[in-house]
Amino acid sequence: MSRRILVVDDEPQILRALGTTLRGAGYTVDTAATAESALAAAAAQPPAAVILDLVLPDGRGTDVTRELRTWTDAPVIVLSAIGEEREKIAALDAGADDYVTKPFSVDELLARLRAVLRRLTPEAGPVLEVGGLTIDVAQRLVTRDGERVKLTPHEFDLLRVLAQNRGKLLTHRMLLREVWGPAYGDEAHYLHVYVSHLRAKIERDPSRPRIVLTEPGAGYRLVDADAS
Amino acid sequence: MRSRLVLPLLGSAAAVAVATLLVVALKPIAPTLSLGVLYVLGVLPVAVVWGARWSLPVAVASMLTFNWFFLPPVHTFTLRDTENWSALAAYSVTAIVVSELAARSRRRATDAEQREREAALLAEIAGHLLGGEELEGQLGWIGGRTAQVLGVPEAVIELDAARGRSRGAPTPLEVDGRVVGTISLPAGAQPQTAVQRRFLPALAALLAVAIDRRRLEREALEAEALRRSDLAKTALLRAVSHDLRSPLTSITTAVGALRNEALVFTDADRRELLDTIAVDAERLARLVGDLLDLSRLEAGGAEPERELWSLDELVRDAIDSLGVADRVEVAGGQPLVNVDPVQIQRVIANFVENALRFSPPGAPVHVRLTATRREAIVRVVDHGPGVAEPELERVFEPFYRGADRSGAGLGLAIARGFAAANGGRVWAESRPGQGATFALALPVVEAPVELPA
Repeated sequence: MSRRILVVDDEPQILRALGTTLRGAGYTVDTAATAESALAAAAAQPPAAVILDLVLPDGRGTDVTRELRTWTDAPVIVLSAIGEEREKIAALDAGADDYVTKPFSVDELLARLRAVLRRLTPEAGPVLEVGGLTIDVAQRLVTRDGERVKLTPHEFDLLRVLAQNRGKLLTHRMLLREVWGPAYGDEAHYLHVYVSHLRAKIERDPSRPRIVLTEPGAGYRLVDADAS
Repeated sequence: MRSRLVLPLLGSAAAVAVATLLVVALKPIAPTLSLGVLYVLGVLPVAVVWGARWSLPVAVASMLTFNWFFLPPVHTFTLRDTENWSALAAYSVTAIVVSELAARSRRRATDAEQREREAALLAEIAGHLLGGEELEGQLGWIGGRTAQVLGVPEAVIELDAARGRSRGAPTPLEVDGRVVGTISLPAGAQPQTAVQRRFLPALAALLAVAIDRRRLEREALEAEALRRSDLAKTALLRAVSHDLRSPLTSITTAVGALRNEALVFTDADRRELLDTIAVDAERLARLVGDLLDLSRLEAGGAEPERELWSLDELVRDAIDSLGVADRVEVAGGQPLVNVDPVQIQRVIANFVENALRFSPPGAPVHVRLTATRREAIVRVVDHGPGVAEPELERVFEPFYRGADRSGAGLGLAIARGFAAANGGRVWAESRPGQGATFALALPVVEAPVELPA
């Protein structure tokens, strides 16, 4: 049975083109043009993933995301536009998994969709393997090719959170809260410094990172350099 | 001028005369020498009313008169007894001191009154200027009242000395070395220097405050206007980019899908994607055309090519061009107008398109033609939800969209622009729930034009 994707956009033409495209890629497609009908459609037929426009006639994609997150972990990809950066970050903070910027390329959207569908649950095993690194969460040990990589406690937590959400875009706020605690959230400069320290220790060429990637203005994403 | 001399002169003489008569009257019952004090009583009112200038001579004259009429040897200015000498000297000194004291207190009183007048005037001026009244309109009465306070027939206050229509020598009104204006007094008028020195700087300070305040207000207004036009431009840009991006997104999606060989489409899917591309490419083209029209209109570059037309013909052509003749009912006369037919058809077409968009499916749109003596009016009436009162003006603004957010919000703005370019006007009438009427009024051709036979 093919996976069900809910597409939400108030532009009928975009809805039509996206619907046809996704069906062509083998998905089952539901569509909705408003926030209200999107929530109703998701409740009636729980989707495997949601593609969600940020600006809807009766509300914001951010609120739809927040509402969905109260009962489903189905990944949400946000369709944003230039000029909607703030709203995009808000949607990601509210639990959206990724975004593409309009006008987007179909290949990019399909790739993002495949990626979010692959990691439906965060990796929670005691040992994570990523980009040639072995991360032992229980022992708080990181090794590369059997050799110990020395990380400070914060650097280790940063790497752990990124690795457990492999492929997912994590906003500055999410990372700060996960690693430093709920009192943090607006100290993005803090984070940039730690990420550069972390890269210096785990990347083969820290000036051209292959493991921890920067999403400008939004956050960071850990990708598996060997897998891509 | 003469009364200023005559009156004090007569008064002074009267004071001396009355004192003399009193002395004569009281002489039988009192020692003559002690009655000299009565002259002091004459000096006092003169000092109070006319000042020391008059009271001192009156004091001297009183003593001489007393001596002449009453002190032996009478009818001479000489004195026999040393006793009389000392009494006369005492009276003289008393009279002079009293006259001086009285005159001084009189001066104080006048001075206080003057200061009070100045303060009252300054307070009044401050009240008017700070109350936000326009400075220029106030200068007339301020000048008049200043003249009163300075004791001159007239005073002309000007803010811009360069304009100079003043008579006499203008005196600069200065605050801290800054000249805020000038005051001109008629030649020959000589107000007290002390008053000028006291009052004019205070007046200048008030004017400076009012001028600064006006300048700040103007600057604030300009800044606000700039901010609003910036806001409008930002809103415009946002609307344009949104309206361009939506069709672009569906086109790139459809093209990307068709080019992706991994995707599997039926023939129907493929046709639908191609349809999407065609429809949205046309939508983009129309939007770009509308934007060009609008920018031409705003730059004043939509010069109409006027021809004489019967308005009902323009209406029917506009409706035909939309292909909606079956849903539009036209009624009314055939007023003649001298307009650019393409532009006016566009106005009508945009009205009709708009009306159809907001009409319930199948409901007709009515077009009514009427004419007054000066204007031919086209009314496009729909049976849609209507327009709320506060929106009636705004619907003609570029990128304004109704509640359903359909369309780019340019049609009515373009209609208004073309109507204005042809000397006409547009407006909307509506009662919520009862549909809306969009009206176009054009000047009618006054005299019927003779057509060549």
